[in-house]
Amino acid sequence: MILRNLDKKCLLKTLERQFANNYATVTEAAKESREEFKALNLKHVKGQVVQKRAPRKLDVLPPRSKQMATDQDWGNVWPGPRTFHPSTVPLPIRQGYVEKGAPPDKYANAELMKIPNFLHLTPPIIKRQCEALKQFCTPWPKNLNTQEKLIENFPIEVTTSNYCLSSPSIRNPLARIVTLTIKVSSLSLKGAMDKFLRLVGERYNEKTDILTIVADRCPLRKQNYEYAMYLLTAVYHESLKVEPWENLKSEADMEYYNWEKNASKKSIEQIFGKPVEEIPNSKMYAEAVSNLMNEGESDYTIAKYGEAVRTLLNLPKTA
Amino acid sequence: MLKTALVFVSKRKLSFSKVKYLSPTANPQPQEKIQSFRSVEHDPLKHTYNHVGQFYNISKEDRNHLFNYGGLPKTYLTQAKTFNETCVMIRQPTIDVIECLKNIDYAKPAVRFVIYGKKGSGKSLSMAHILHYANRSNFLVVHVPWVGNWMRRCQEVSNSDTKEGFINLNVDAAAWLLHFKTQNSHLLEKEDLKIAQDYVWSKREKTEKGSPLLDIVNHGINRIKFASDCVVIIADEIKKLSNSGVCKTLVAIDGFNAFFYPNTRVFTEKKEKVHPHKVVITEAFLNLTKNDWKNSAVIVTVDEIAVAEEDQISHMPRYLLGKEGFEHLDPFVPIPMENYNQKEFKSVMDYYRDRRWITPYPGQDEEVSALSANNPYNLIKVCAPL
Repeated sequence: MILRNLDKKCLLKTLERQFANNYATVTEAAKESREEFKALNLKHVKGQVVQKRAPRKLDVLPPRSKQMATDQDWGNVWPGPRTFHPSTVPLPIRQGYVEKGAPPDKYANAELMKIPNFLHLTPPIIKRQCEALKQFCTPWPKNLNTQEKLIENFPIEVTTSNYCLSSPSIRNPLARIVTLTIKVSSLSLKGAMDKFLRLVGERYNEKTDILTIVADRCPLRKQNYEYAMYLLTAVYHESLKVEPWENLKSEADMEYYNWEKNASKKSIEQIFGKPVEEIPNSKMYAEAVSNLMNEGESDYTIAKYGEAVRTLLNLPKTA
Repeated sequence: MLKTALVFVSKRKLSFSKVKYLSPTANPQPQEKIQSFRSVEHDPLKHTYNHVGQFYNISKEDRNHLFNYGGLPKTYLTQAKTFNETCVMIRQPTIDVIECLKNIDYAKPAVRFVIYGKKGSGKSLSMAHILHYANRSNFLVVHVPWVGNWMRRCQEVSNSDTKEGFINLNVDAAAWLLHFKTQNSHLLEKEDLKIAQDYVWSKREKTEKGSPLLDIVNHGINRIKFASDCVVIIADEIKKLSNSGVCKTLVAIDGFNAFFYPNTRVFTEKKEKVHPHKVVITEAFLNLTKNDWKNSAVIVTVDEIAVAEEDQISHMPRYLLGKEGFEHLDPFVPIPMENYNQKEFKSVMDYYRDRRWITPYPGQDEEVSALSANNPYNLIKVCAPL
């Protein structure tokens, strides 16, 4: 066995040497005749191989924005509301977010297309459109030049909304809602104010003195407007009504402290033995008592009350 | 073991024949140190804003004279007994009231003061200080130590004979008469306090016009049945006397808001709750706190403790007095009673250390101040175990 293996090894070594020699000679020859090397034709296709034609390059125009004149009329380029179009807008806009690097530019940028734009409402265009509309307008009343006069003469303000959208229907259900606001002081409700406020409830804003009526129950704007006006009229007249039992309202039923009608006034009149108007510092005292009663008790209101009493009764102040 | 101990004790007893003082507090020390927390001025007539935060001593005679039947809070009394002296701190609101009392034009209707403040802030002690002042400046003092004692812890109840549907608090009224008598003993003994009309008590009992006010006081104390009526009559007579300029009067009522708090603990025989206005003596003190008389000043405190616990919501005078009470007192001078400020707190702590009531340790003031929130009553409680 060992002998046989030895023989094999000897044989392999000689073969190896021979192959090495052959390879060295063959490579020399092959280098010279490379062009004549035949392609491997496994499927035995007959005929010549057709060369593919190189695709013709199309002449793509540069984006329109690059050809625009600097003094062009933008209103003609972008006449109405429209989704953003990158080649029409000559602005280097970027929008969106990528983790590293700058936000994507305007080409093929869905973010820019999503958001509404006001490119059709540039200031010169608005000006131009207003000029065009002017012929249909009447001049503004000259005497109505301040906001106060405006509110005084036209106290009711009606707000509605129009919606512009691209959908099969141009109607928007939100367009029917009518909001009516009015400054309550312009209604001149003197005695009936309390009842009016109770009727309108939370629709009244105490800080601004504005009543807001929102009408949205009817399908049409006109109907809602009429309903809001009806509500205002109804509430106004209802609050003006005086029921016979209302005369029974006593001091305990009052919703705020009125110093003039209270025991406090009587007691200082009794102390000084003369009417309130003649008592020095009585006004300050009246104010302090009313504040204490209406705003509630706190260290501040009590201290103010104490000060007022001291000045009224001519006592030394606290150190 | 036991035997030896006994022997030792008996030996010790023998060896100290003199009185032995167990603590330096009890041992009167002869030399006087200048102590910043002690006022050099012990006369309330001379107290000014300069003395604020210092303690002054009420002498034993004055204390027995004024506060023998109440007027000092119990917690304070225990402490005063321990310290062997009745020291009261001179506080800013008190001086404020005293300054006002000095400057009032007594020819004009009575000025009303309302002392208010949180629980335990020192309203009653401030009142005591003012009473001491009034006593020294010869005011006739009409002092109610605590209205809550009548409306919430009354002793005895009976229907009034003189007034239909009203309630008499006999024992309480008589106790008050005694209190009034002790407080004003020096003034009542004078001749000039005389009554202005005849009072017929029964077929045989009658107080004639011109007899001293003391007669009515004594009658009320002796005939408890008439005590409540006596209180009302005394109130009326005091007003007349003050109006005619015979005496100057200071009305001091502690826990005044109890007169306007409907939820009393006074019950009729049918176990019906009695409104304070249906109690006879209430009339007397409401009459005295009106402003239709002169030569007088009225000082009342309003206190949360005078009302039931469920209604102790706010310590403010308008809430405690209610609408009716406010209108009754209006216009009044509100006097807020605050907790101790830094200076007052330091003074109290120094006083306690001087009395060996607390053992000093570093950082004590800050810790105790935080624990008690500078409230005088809380401070007493916090310092008790220190």
